[in-house]
Amino acid sequence: MIKPRSNERFLAKGGRNGRPIRWAKSLVAGLVVLTAQAQAYDLSQAGEFLQEHCSRCHNDERYSGNWSLEEFDLASLAKGDELARWESILRVTQRGEMPPASRPQPEEAELADFLGWLTGGLDDYAAAHPNPGRATLRRLNRTEYNNAIRDLLALDIDIREQLPTDDTGYGFDNIADVLSVSPTLMDRYLAVAGKVSRLAAGLAPQQPYTTTFQLPKDGSILNQGVPAFDERMSNNLPLNSRGGGAFKFYAPYTGEYEISGYLNANTNNETDRLEQNRVSHSVHLSAGPHTLGMAFRRDLSLDESVQTLHNTTDIVVLPLHQPTMLTLDFIVDGERVGDTQVPSYYMSPRYAQNNFPRDVLQIDVEGPVSIVAEGETPSQKKIFQCQPRIWPFTAQRCASSIISTLANQAYRRSLDDADLAGLMGVYNTVAEAEGFEAGVAAAIQAILVSPSFLFLYEHDPADSAPGFVHSISDTEFAARLALFIWSSLPDEELLQLAQSNQLRKPGVLQNQLTRMLDDPKARALTENFAGQWLYLRNLEFHRADVVAYPDFDVPLRQAMLGESEEFFNYIVQQDRSVLDFLASNYTFLNERLAKHYGIDGVSGPALRKVNLTPQNNRGGLLGQGSILTVTSYGNHTSVVKRGKWILDNLLAAPPPPPPPDVPALVAKQGGKHLTQREQLALHSEDPSCSSCHVMMDPLGLALENFDAIGNYRSVDAGNAIDASATMPDGTNFDGISGLQAVLLARKTQFAEAFTQRLMIYALGRGLEAYDQPKLRAIVRAAQANDFRIRDIIYGIVTSEPFNYRRTPAA
Amino acid sequence: MTDSTQINRRSLLRGLGVAITLPVMESLLPKPALAYENRPKRMSVFYTPNGMRMQRFTPQETGRDYTLSPILQPLAKHRDKFTVISGLAHYNASALGDGPGSHGRSCAAYLTGAHPKRTEGSDLYCGISMDQLLANHIGKDSLFPSLELGIEPPSLLGSCDVGYSCTYTNTLSWRSPTSPLPVSVKPQDVFERLFGDASAVDEAARAAQTARKASILDFVLADSQRLNPKLGANDRRKLEEYLDSIRSVEKRIQKASQQSLDINADVITLPAGLPDSFEEHVRLMTELQILALQSDMTRVVTLMAGRELSNRAYPEIGVPDAHHSLSHHGYDPEKIDKLVKINQYHMQQFGYLLERLATTPDGEGSLLDSTLVLGGASLGESNEHDNMDLPVLVAGGGVPGNRHIAMPKHTPMCNLMLAMMQQLGVPAESFGDSTQPLTQLMG
Repeated sequence: MIKPRSNERFLAKGGRNGRPIRWAKSLVAGLVVLTAQAQAYDLSQAGEFLQEHCSRCHNDERYSGNWSLEEFDLASLAKGDELARWESILRVTQRGEMPPASRPQPEEAELADFLGWLTGGLDDYAAAHPNPGRATLRRLNRTEYNNAIRDLLALDIDIREQLPTDDTGYGFDNIADVLSVSPTLMDRYLAVAGKVSRLAAGLAPQQPYTTTFQLPKDGSILNQGVPAFDERMSNNLPLNSRGGGAFKFYAPYTGEYEISGYLNANTNNETDRLEQNRVSHSVHLSAGPHTLGMAFRRDLSLDESVQTLHNTTDIVVLPLHQPTMLTLDFIVDGERVGDTQVPSYYMSPRYAQNNFPRDVLQIDVEGPVSIVAEGETPSQKKIFQCQPRIWPFTAQRCASSIISTLANQAYRRSLDDADLAGLMGVYNTVAEAEGFEAGVAAAIQAILVSPSFLFLYEHDPADSAPGFVHSISDTEFAARLALFIWSSLPDEELLQLAQSNQLRKPGVLQNQLTRMLDDPKARALTENFAGQWLYLRNLEFHRADVVAYPDFDVPLRQAMLGESEEFFNYIVQQDRSVLDFLASNYTFLNERLAKHYGIDGVSGPALRKVNLTPQNNRGGLLGQGSILTVTSYGNHTSVVKRGKWILDNLLAAPPPPPPPDVPALVAKQGGKHLTQREQLALHSEDPSCSSCHVMMDPLGLALENFDAIGNYRSVDAGNAIDASATMPDGTNFDGISGLQAVLLARKTQFAEAFTQRLMIYALGRGLEAYDQPKLRAIVRAAQANDFRIRDIIYGIVTSEPFNYRRTPAA
Repeated sequence: MTDSTQINRRSLLRGLGVAITLPVMESLLPKPALAYENRPKRMSVFYTPNGMRMQRFTPQETGRDYTLSPILQPLAKHRDKFTVISGLAHYNASALGDGPGSHGRSCAAYLTGAHPKRTEGSDLYCGISMDQLLANHIGKDSLFPSLELGIEPPSLLGSCDVGYSCTYTNTLSWRSPTSPLPVSVKPQDVFERLFGDASAVDEAARAAQTARKASILDFVLADSQRLNPKLGANDRRKLEEYLDSIRSVEKRIQKASQQSLDINADVITLPAGLPDSFEEHVRLMTELQILALQSDMTRVVTLMAGRELSNRAYPEIGVPDAHHSLSHHGYDPEKIDKLVKINQYHMQQFGYLLERLATTPDGEGSLLDSTLVLGGASLGESNEHDNMDLPVLVAGGGVPGNRHIAMPKHTPMCNLMLAMMQQLGVPAESFGDSTQPLTQLMG
């Protein structure tokens, strides 16, 4: 790479005129290795192109972009020496970022020749020098760990919250280099593995235990109580319910459980859980997963709510009427299993200034209060495939069979004798003291903390030299594939195909990939890849200003997240073109979100596909409330954040970091509120700011018709919105439709950007210059069919870095 | 289980609600109190994000009985317990040619005194932090060498400081220059870490659990050693990290098996999730901290009242604006007032920590007598991203209070940290960019 130059050298150089061009020396050497593709165009022409269009700034004196052509050896392309530099030249010339718009531009044909030569040279080098990149031993992140347990033990529980958050790198939390192990994590692994293995084996503690679920509600706002909602709050509640909520609960035993809920008391902060506001009901649950909930009924008159009480804390109007009684239902797996009557309001002595309809803030489940019979759970069915005392099994043989079956799936490979011996050692120690099932549970716990499970082991051929590139085995491939598509373990079908070396046969792989993507487990791509690519995971933590945006509450936030997730999932399930992400004539809405968008004809809380017209000003990712919100501040939009988001995530053209001591935007001048456009214009008077803002600002300005929670608007701070903008190349456009056209005109660049993000996620590492030719090949192949998403996924799965491995330095 | 005990237990649970109250906690404590002279030395750090409005933080007068500044007002009744030290600087938190990213640098430098490597990728590099050095010395004999507590969950993507990995703003504690320690933000997690799986609370179940864990750890150690030779150098390092963690857990389990905790199953209830209110959350974490210190489960605790660069809003005190945005107040008086309110609110929580330490008996004195407390932020004047004039409060551990010590401008913060470590018995001669221990600490 380019090193900072010493001052001395700089001074010694003097003027540029009359100095020989250094790269000319290497022309002869370079020509020898030129390949068929590049022969029509030779190295000297490329040299002339660079000399004519680049050397005016990239020379030793001006040293623009910390780079000079004068020391640059053109033959390095064929030698693979300066791949990052060459890739960067390719990127900026191809996108028209260089030469800058203010400079003379190369002729179209001249540019095409140069790009063809450069692309060809890079691709040829990559083809002749396979380099799958470094592969660090990769640990399962907590989502993958959770899913692996779900699939291994048929145990439908969520244990992610019990493990520390994984660090992220390159925008994702599955990057091998970044995922470390700390004593805290190890401690948690041991504890969680102990809990789940005993739960799965039917050995959970028998004493009652209270599990608490905080229902997602908005917090108390300025001592005004916690808002309640007059709508159905979960798909797991009856259709005509309102308020409350539902959550997943895993009953360790068949028996009686007590569900209780704390209702809002309209106190000024609602953190109290008062006995007066607690209701409970006893239910019978079979062992295994359930959804439990509580909700009111929607068929009620408004007298259930107390009138709104305003003004200050000193003057609160008390309700005129006695409370009426409301029916509150207890719901198990979508069915009402019991109800109780509760008063329509409760006046706490510390009453809030606003009273809201009665709602449930928290649900507790306590149990098992009594155990009726021990039912067999899906987990027990999957684990105990033999009985220890039934011929031909002895306890020892049965345990060995169970443990080797589970370890085989968990380790994603065949077991050797030493693997099994170690696990059986654990089994024996514990079984001796606590019995057969406890012994099996302990062995499962050992599997779940073993490095063979927690890490993705990949093997190099015996005696292979460092740097040797070789294909990974089919079982290792199956493990990578399952992590990519399912964020989990390979299932039996994948493992069997891999163990018989069938998996990567072309027809077989196509079918398996289709099967995997059609499986509900592929939802992992939406939650983990899209959730991070699009910053959707940040939505949960986004807090809009409650005064400026009182509409932004929990149901709206959930609908926004749902829209983007359903949208992404639809594109995967229907194998749509990834260009739908830029512009589409459909999206997914429920009543709440449709109202937010000003779209009629959508009723009810369920999200469904809705066709859009151009008048709706929506479509694609950029019309979605989720993205418009996470790229805003709590109380105002940010042209810069939105522009940067587009550059980072849709165009793979991240702007360089701002210079030191970057001045903040000035919101007011001479007593007048400035629009974002005016603020940015002022800011860009500084040339060190304008060089980047010229790229970011137009993209963000075109979205100014959307406020900080994605509402369409035509006025901001008393000024009419102007959503027109000009790209650095002079293209004028206006609003979201103009922006969509600008992006669609760069569809290959977008497809590359998308593929780049997905490849980082699939490989669990950042991409390097040597990966770029492979990325381009995937996009080129997908282009034939309008960039369908499954073509891109297939391209990644069959790519060199996904299938090969380089023997690391010893 | 008979009906009557069941009802009794459940009514207890109901009465407690989500919060753990101290009287319940006390029944968890080991019985014998230690004689005064045998009391362990301890340290607690209380960190607030985004610097302070320094003009309203630093007292005008120096010496004893100085007039409290506006931000210190909430600490008025504790003034005898703490001392303000002004003029301290973390030179290594400066850009030093690295460009923007002051929050990332200052937070990382706060307890390490190191200049963190500017990176968003995998090659994090900072320095070992003071709390971890102490964990190696005074913490080595306790069940948990240190506890890292936080209030805000670690930040996700896209919202950390320019050019710096989110890790730099998520934590203060660095086990080594390359291993940051994550903070625990859920009271339930902390509780479970301290007391183990709350569903296995009786002595026999606990013993069985410990035996199981020990046999599993033996297996895992043997297994990893078997796999290790097959790996490349890089991967061996990863596995080494894993093995170290296993060994550390093993040691902890050995200690736990020697320490018998009298835990009454009938009165434990876990706080669920993150408490809604900031204040409730900080207080719960403070209670857990007190409990861990008092029971000698740990001797070193850090608590981040917010992650650095926090944009938390505080509507409950009339500040619905985002903290970080406000901290760049641009000298707008309205914004300054709001920022000061947040600073005061944080100081009020610091006061709660002092109060709880002071009222918790430890031998013949209080926990505060044996716990050296450091409070403050990693930036001074927040509008300026200033790391050369930090807000610093020290208390407890024998440090005389009621003083404002004005050090010469740009005295290394590391001088104070060195003095603290020496006071706590660490034979350190220098730390970070220290020039000499800050002798004024002990009066």
